Amino acid sequence: MSTQIPLATSTATGELAGTDADSVTTRRAGGRGERVNWPVTIVLIICSLAILVPLYVTLTMAFKTTSQAVDGNAFSLPAPFSVDGFVQAWNLTTFPRSFAISIGVSALTVVGTIILSSFAAFAISRNWNRRFFRWSFYYLLAALFLPFPVVALSQVKLTGLVHLDNPLGVAILHIMFQLGFSVLLFTAFLRSIPDELEESARLEGATTGQVFWQLIFPLLAPMSATVGIFAFLASWNDFVMPSLITSNPALQTLPVLQQIFQTQFSNNYNVSFASYLMAMAPAILVYLFTQRWVMAGVTQGAIK
Amino acid sequence: MNPKPPLPVPGLSRRSFLIGAGALGAGFALAGCAAPGGSASGVTEISFYVSKPEVIGYFDTLIAKFHKSQARVRVVRDSTSNMSADFVRNSPPDLGCWNYNFSVVEFVERGALSDLGDMPEAATINPDIKPLLKETADYPGRTSAIPYSLTAASVLYNKDLFTKYGVAVPTTYDDLVAACETFQKAGIAPFFNTYKDTWTIAQGLFDYTIGGMVDVPDFFKRLRAEGTKVDAASSVSFQKDFRSAMDRMVQLGSYANKNAASRGYGDGNLAFAKGEAAMYLQGPWALNEIAKTNAKMNVGTFPLPVTNDPKDLKVRVNVDLALWIPEASKKKEAARSFLSFLMQPEIQNTYNADNNAFGTTKNAPPTTNPALVGMQKYYDDAAFYLGASQIIPSEIPVANYAQSIALGSKPEPVLRQLDGDWSRLALRS
Repeated sequence: MSTQIPLATSTATGELAGTDADSVTTRRAGGRGERVNWPVTIVLIICSLAILVPLYVTLTMAFKTTSQAVDGNAFSLPAPFSVDGFVQAWNLTTFPRSFAISIGVSALTVVGTIILSSFAAFAISRNWNRRFFRWSFYYLLAALFLPFPVVALSQVKLTGLVHLDNPLGVAILHIMFQLGFSVLLFTAFLRSIPDELEESARLEGATTGQVFWQLIFPLLAPMSATVGIFAFLASWNDFVMPSLITSNPALQTLPVLQQIFQTQFSNNYNVSFASYLMAMAPAILVYLFTQRWVMAGVTQGAIK
Repeated sequence: MNPKPPLPVPGLSRRSFLIGAGALGAGFALAGCAAPGGSASGVTEISFYVSKPEVIGYFDTLIAKFHKSQARVRVVRDSTSNMSADFVRNSPPDLGCWNYNFSVVEFVERGALSDLGDMPEAATINPDIKPLLKETADYPGRTSAIPYSLTAASVLYNKDLFTKYGVAVPTTYDDLVAACETFQKAGIAPFFNTYKDTWTIAQGLFDYTIGGMVDVPDFFKRLRAEGTKVDAASSVSFQKDFRSAMDRMVQLGSYANKNAASRGYGDGNLAFAKGEAAMYLQGPWALNEIAKTNAKMNVGTFPLPVTNDPKDLKVRVNVDLALWIPEASKKKEAARSFLSFLMQPEIQNTYNADNNAFGTTKNAPPTTNPALVGMQKYYDDAAFYLGASQIIPSEIPVANYAQSIALGSKPEPVLRQLDGDWSRLALRS
């Protein structure tokens, strides 16, 4: 049955697990005042600086005045503390509306991706010996090799024809493009759930629906969290698809509206960074609260 | 692995969650259906595309004014749609207010924009400006767009530094070199160049030196007539006709700030606003950026002298905004009424005065902007040209070529490359 172990996932996990183990060792060693693994510590410090420095610049820029924002000192603290950038960004993007639309699209994407791909993965992994299901797995995986820009124009035309040139259409397309990767993760994870569990449920008289919803889906929770986070980030950060698909400017998502802050001829660093900060907040919050499951999900999906 | 006992998940919460998600989706679907309609009770709703971020607020007040003046047409502003996608979907904006440059070429040349030649506004356009539009993109027998705003670019100079060192505005190349020497001796960079951003070189040093020496429209007319074989042997070529201009570019480059190679547009605005250089080769779009740092700066403009004949002085222009109505629009009449509203002299002239631009109509008033008056004379005499870098099709990376000359390559091989690119493109199309 489990002849096809997805290589990509296990490699990725190998790296992740490695980093994790290293950091744990470092922390432990440092805590006891014993030998510190300096090379690893330095690498990790550099890695964390790569995140922290841009974050610091984003934070300080957002609270600067326009004239201070263009003075060429990205690292200076905001001298007159100003929330003007936030006010302008709020008004220019009609923040509450575009934020709600972005949230709506992402929520639909997350829910749709988790449900559809767990359905597909369940069907595929339980019928792996049948050719139709094996091939449909490869078919779904093939979508991983299909970047959106390749099919952009035909999608624009098609969504226009069926009146899906709105956030709903964007969400549907997001689900479609997430499907390949998510089915891959779910299928790998489902292999680790023993068939006997399902058999015992069936002996008790459970239907396939009951088996899935009451047994399998709860067991999939950590992987669902991983899939959900990937789907959320992909959908929340996407620029190209909503900008091409959504025809009504009043229904546009946040990342697309933010493009007006930066043009060839003008820089509005304080306004743009204020806006980026407001847009980044949900992604950071989601990650902070769910990172435990991301790690757990990724490792559980691959270790067999 | 470690199978946990399946937790009894309360069915209701999941179901209500799904219902909620479904309702959200249905809401989007309904909103999508409701949007395209909107022509109930005799009110026509048109979409108006304007993407220049700094003037969005200004056009919003104009839209409000237009709504007050009549009740039949409602205007919805759009600043974020993707133009190509809109045309592919066959739902382009009813009225476009866009740069008239390479981005519009495809739409004009395929006849996607409707003929506005019968509108009275088309007759008020300054005849000197019409060739500029034609040169950028043209569909035979049509007035595809009505120019709204013209920006003229030349050398921005720090008036206070010029007065301090007793330098007069140069009108010949020798004067310019003498002025540069004076500033250099005083320890001030004559020019502030920003080679990091390729477009700043293309629109600045490259276009100015060529426009000051070569008859740009005539050059491209002859070049197109040359067909698919442009090289050193043909009667007209980049290597031959741009050669001396590029030599001037190299000479003037030696008077630039020493760190030009690592400086970008934002750095240039900052340094010029702080008085670190006497001259800055940028268009009026930089004035707003300079004002962010130094709002009271005393800036003037003059065309870059490249020859020793003051008669050759010209300024570089481009049609910054033009109005057009797509063929695919189903509400052309309503779009036309808003176009006429925008073209009223008091509205158009106010826009241009407020945005450092020149008018496009026959009786547009002269500019009173102290930073731009230096160019009024050349505008009146139609001593202007479209930048060569704007006419060369965007398939040829001319800005990068200009950068390599600015950074020290010899002009000959670069110009030879340009000839080759031009020939290959001509062969292909």
